[in-house]
Amino acid sequence: MTPGTLISILLLLVPGIASIFYFRNIRMATVAAAALDEILSVLLFWIMPPQGFFFVDRTTDVFIFMITSIYLLSSIYSLRYISDRNATGLKQPTYYLLLNLFAVSMLFSAQINNYGLMWVGIEATTISSALLIMTEKSEESLEATWRYIIIVSAGVTFAFISIILIYYSFGTLTVSTILSAGRTNTLFVRVAVSIALIGFGTKVGVFPVHTWLPDAHSEAPSPVSAMFSGVLLPTALYVLYRIFQIDPITSLFIWFGTISIVAASLFLGYQARYKRMFAYSTMENMNLALIGIATMNPLGIVGALYLLISHSFSKAGAFYSSGSVLRSTGTKDVANVKGIAKKMPITSAALLMSSLGVSGTPPFGTFFGEILILYSMVLVNAVPEFIIVVIFLVFAFVGINLNVSRMIFGSPGDNSEPGRLMPAVSLVASIVPLAIGAFFMVVNNAIL
Amino acid sequence: MNYDSIVYLISASILVSAFYIQGQRYIMSMIRGQLVQSVLIAVASFLLAYLESSTDLLILGLLILILRGVLITYMLETRMPSRKSYVFEEGVNVPYLFLVDLVFIVIAVFIIYSIIFSSLVPISQPGNSSTLLFPLLLFFQGLFLITSRRSTFTQIVGYVEEENGLVLLAIFLLPVPIIIEASVFLDVLALVVISSVITVEKATHERMEELRG
Repeated sequence: MTPGTLISILLLLVPGIASIFYFRNIRMATVAAAALDEILSVLLFWIMPPQGFFFVDRTTDVFIFMITSIYLLSSIYSLRYISDRNATGLKQPTYYLLLNLFAVSMLFSAQINNYGLMWVGIEATTISSALLIMTEKSEESLEATWRYIIIVSAGVTFAFISIILIYYSFGTLTVSTILSAGRTNTLFVRVAVSIALIGFGTKVGVFPVHTWLPDAHSEAPSPVSAMFSGVLLPTALYVLYRIFQIDPITSLFIWFGTISIVAASLFLGYQARYKRMFAYSTMENMNLALIGIATMNPLGIVGALYLLISHSFSKAGAFYSSGSVLRSTGTKDVANVKGIAKKMPITSAALLMSSLGVSGTPPFGTFFGEILILYSMVLVNAVPEFIIVVIFLVFAFVGINLNVSRMIFGSPGDNSEPGRLMPAVSLVASIVPLAIGAFFMVVNNAIL
Repeated sequence: MNYDSIVYLISASILVSAFYIQGQRYIMSMIRGQLVQSVLIAVASFLLAYLESSTDLLILGLLILILRGVLITYMLETRMPSRKSYVFEEGVNVPYLFLVDLVFIVIAVFIIYSIIFSSLVPISQPGNSSTLLFPLLLFFQGLFLITSRRSTFTQIVGYVEEENGLVLLAIFLLPVPIIIEASVFLDVLALVVISSVITVEKATHERMEELRG
């Protein structure tokens, strides 16, 4: 066994081992496991496993690093956010057990060298994460859980037709074998890739199969919303990307992405609840990354990776600070949250930076990702789509930042920070995209 | 009766079971309908296993029988409380839904079959892709059941039916490796277990103000 293979296996085993502590301090075991996974994911950049049971390249590394980072931040944030008082739908140990399984299922989907098992992994993410939505057991969270289960499962089941057609066309489901065979353009493969867009697109947030997304994000506890938005959707996008690579149907994917951005920006504009607003912002960012990948241009793909990794931290920051606001004010309505800047300075700073980050403001990493994607759209002559996307990105930018400004500024209310840990985690998550932006600038100066 | 006729007979029976489920308002009848459907698919798998001398299809048939036929049925039946809303689904206009259902699945299946599936070569009957119509019909029938009903149990049965359509497609077209098929079965089983947690808390699903937009 090579060191790379060992790291890949450990990435899957460590959260599982933490779950053994179910009856005794699983909270701290989860944090320790997430921290260890984070170290392993960094090591994976230098020591990659050979192609075999796993298929890990530089793109996979970025996704694995995203998953372990948000898993770590969410498990730390949960220490304070999830308590016996509010976790009425799930026992605390069960919450952490499912959180660990959720991370394992995403890491499995990202690393495995088999399209069929990728499908199994994506379905496993639904199984492990569904009950997490109903942690706080309100009537709305039960309904959101059910919508998530039934809509996502029905959609992902549709994607299995795509897996059957790939197997029919190639006689194998091994990712490395199929991709090394070169681009294959037969009717069956094209249909398989198109079906995958709708099937896996259900989990990515492609319009019109996105309907579970705002409900699940708004009703799940904030650390789970952060995992959904920051890493679950990108993991589904990663699987879609691997299928797209077999036969890139660029125009179809770009148009679906464009229409989805239009829909997300319009929905986002009239949201009265801040968590739903951030959910639609996720849909917008995922579809922009989908467009970047669909251009099959190196700039577009690098742009998509910059966007995804910066977005994962920014959006996690947005949901963590939303969680702090919710704990402090007790409301999800934008209109009922005013002037939190004075009494909740750290949460306000995190919320502001996160909202600027997710809406692609310079110098956050998301901005550079968006620029690269937009530029690559022009390079592949997707000019009408480019114009539409730019218009609606501006629309989304104004919508998000206007609402967040209303919440932060104005006459101060009598709210206070919910302790130190939650605001600190929010702040860390919202600062990382700035560092990614700085990294981008340094790297480009070096190149120039 | 020759082999082709038996395949068509089983396929037609599976389709009848799907329409039987669609026509029901009693939850228990739907669950039993799903049991019959799963057993019929297992029989189709055993038949092809015999004709093709395929161990994979034999194992697949056993998996369908045990996981779909026995375990899922048992789980759904035992999770069903005696409250009326679980036993009988109210406010369902069965004849109207039947009509819409027929229009929906005939159009959907016609389009998909004529574009792609008509040119596929199934292992069950090389040169005759018409058997692939049955899994497609079953798949869309399941999808329609999910979208047309509000009861949690009915939607679970719809999901299982949709999955049955895919299993039948794989049996007729080209069975995927058994390790993947087994994982898919376990995934679906786990999903039904998770879903059954919701059934205790929430019997039906309506629009909610908090979840609008």
